[in-house]
Amino acid sequence: MSLPTGIRNYTYAEDMAILRTRTHWVLLGVFLLLLFTAPLYLNDHWLGIVNRIGITIIAVTGLNILTGYCGQLSIGHAGFMAVGAYTSAVLTDRLGLPFLASLIFAGLSAGLIGMVFGMPSLRVKGFYLAITTIAAQFIIIWIIEHWTEVTGPNGIMDVSPASIGGIALKTPASEFYLILAITILTVYGAKNLARTKVGRAFVAIRDNDLAAEVMGINLFRYKLTAFFIGCFLAGLAGSLMAHTSRSISPDYFQFKDSILYVGMIIIGGLGTTTGPILGVVFIRLIDEFVTQLSPTLQTAFPNLLPGFTSGIAPMIFGLVIILFLIFEPRGLEHRWQLFKAAYRNWPFSY
Amino acid sequence: MTELMQYTITGLSLGMVYSLIALGFVLIWKSSGVANLAIGQLVLFSSWFTYGMLVQAGLPPWLGIPLVIIFALMLGWSVERLALRPLIGQPILSLIAVTLGLAYFIEGLVGIIWPKSLASLPPLFPQEPLRIGSAVIRQEFLWAAVISIVLFVLLSIFFKYHRMGIAMRATADDQKAVQACGIPVTRIFSQSWMFACVLAAVGGIRISSIGNISKAPLVEMGLKAFSVVILGGLDSFLGAIIAGPIIGLAETIGGGYLSKVAWEGVREVIPFLIIIIVMIFKPYGLFGEKRIERV
Repeated sequence: MSLPTGIRNYTYAEDMAILRTRTHWVLLGVFLLLLFTAPLYLNDHWLGIVNRIGITIIAVTGLNILTGYCGQLSIGHAGFMAVGAYTSAVLTDRLGLPFLASLIFAGLSAGLIGMVFGMPSLRVKGFYLAITTIAAQFIIIWIIEHWTEVTGPNGIMDVSPASIGGIALKTPASEFYLILAITILTVYGAKNLARTKVGRAFVAIRDNDLAAEVMGINLFRYKLTAFFIGCFLAGLAGSLMAHTSRSISPDYFQFKDSILYVGMIIIGGLGTTTGPILGVVFIRLIDEFVTQLSPTLQTAFPNLLPGFTSGIAPMIFGLVIILFLIFEPRGLEHRWQLFKAAYRNWPFSY
Repeated sequence: MTELMQYTITGLSLGMVYSLIALGFVLIWKSSGVANLAIGQLVLFSSWFTYGMLVQAGLPPWLGIPLVIIFALMLGWSVERLALRPLIGQPILSLIAVTLGLAYFIEGLVGIIWPKSLASLPPLFPQEPLRIGSAVIRQEFLWAAVISIVLFVLLSIFFKYHRMGIAMRATADDQKAVQACGIPVTRIFSQSWMFACVLAAVGGIRISSIGNISKAPLVEMGLKAFSVVILGGLDSFLGAIIAGPIIGLAETIGGGYLSKVAWEGVREVIPFLIIIIVMIFKPYGLFGEKRIERV
């Protein structure tokens, strides 16, 4: 069904290949070329946005593994990002660890914290688990706000820039390449994880955990693995965020960000690899569009309510999430599949 | 001793507000199986609407408060009709997520209409403090507690004897059977949302008439009501009523005494810590039906 007309699989390797036709390879090549040359035709403002998109894709891919594949709803992902961000900032600034080491440690610490809060998932699910992760979000942020000897009174304001092998990545363009590399690795890893034994176990747990257990899937192990992977990626994203924005405070990791991440995977499409990417890009571009547009609207219509600029973006996000759930619960990814199918079968789409 | 007395009264009063909000949650959960995570935002919206009525429009409380209640009824009806009705029968994840979208939407809307981050209501209750023994207690707390208790009693009577209340309980028990008896289930759903919004509004008015009307803390207030729901058991009205004061007391007494040994502001996280503890040891809560699947 997903193959173009006239193409068949003759070997197992062909069947499993992500890229099957020459067109796939060419399209991927062109896409990567466009991505890697992006700093040539994007100014710093847009590069900043692209960097934010990349970081969010990493975090949301993690959330997607946890929620989309394994079915464990987490509404505390911003909290786990905060763990990664603070670990990384403290390790590089106070203890002088190199960036790459603290990046890994950031992921590990966020993953471990995620596993701790994922423990109740062994006994409860659905709404109960959602509440637990909300509690996790508030407890984590509260600790960060109050453990001021380590986390600074108002956050950490002078995080050192990311540096690899003595080269400090200070410009948006160099940060872009770092984030791009990690994002590509993450997405590639997530795509392949979904096709391994672990990924299939996740899907089995999501679809029917009882049946999964009967089939011999160790729920304890796989649920905690899902929490670890999801939060590990959140930690990586948090670390990247700390070292590119160069200052972190609890305000960056609010409860509403956690909600927004859930919204992103819903809009993009749960349990798919492309979904989170589409969702993040969609939301972030709306965000940017609204930010650009609202001052103009404000001057054009002076009798607009004064809170318009700050309030319109959340309103639109909320509305978009609700509308997607009602009208397209399978997300943008489904639309993308429909488009691809239409393209493949054109002009004989029957 | 004086300190303890004050903590107790404040805690009980605060806890009863939690109970009110939690009752709204339990009502929706029992009748329609929707986990309403937007409850904090419902509290937020109705509190600021009260501010709009009483301060901005300058209405007297006897006119303004009923208007707020009517507004809450309309809010509940439209939320159910527009956002929840199309999703009947969808997986729980969608039902949770739609209330998250709702939360975002309402928060943005409140931000647009009332851009201020802080406001205060005119005093609704007598101001002069009461003296019980050596403790000085603000009269407002007592009045607030009285209102909650009256509401609890009214609600119990309603659920026990009124036609609609009985229909709601029946829906909570078995949706299909209820439908077969000719009770319109969708109408019960929208009524439970309307009720929940009114409860959230009353809770919001009570909180904001004692302290300030704020943004994030009010939302957090609604989220703390979840700890009540979890402790009391998701599907138990009695649990919500009893667990509310427990959480309130834990917050004020625990917070009051722990703040000397732990970090400042420890009371803010106590309800969330209770959530985690209950989740690990007794996930169905004190009075909840032990139907939750162990997986």
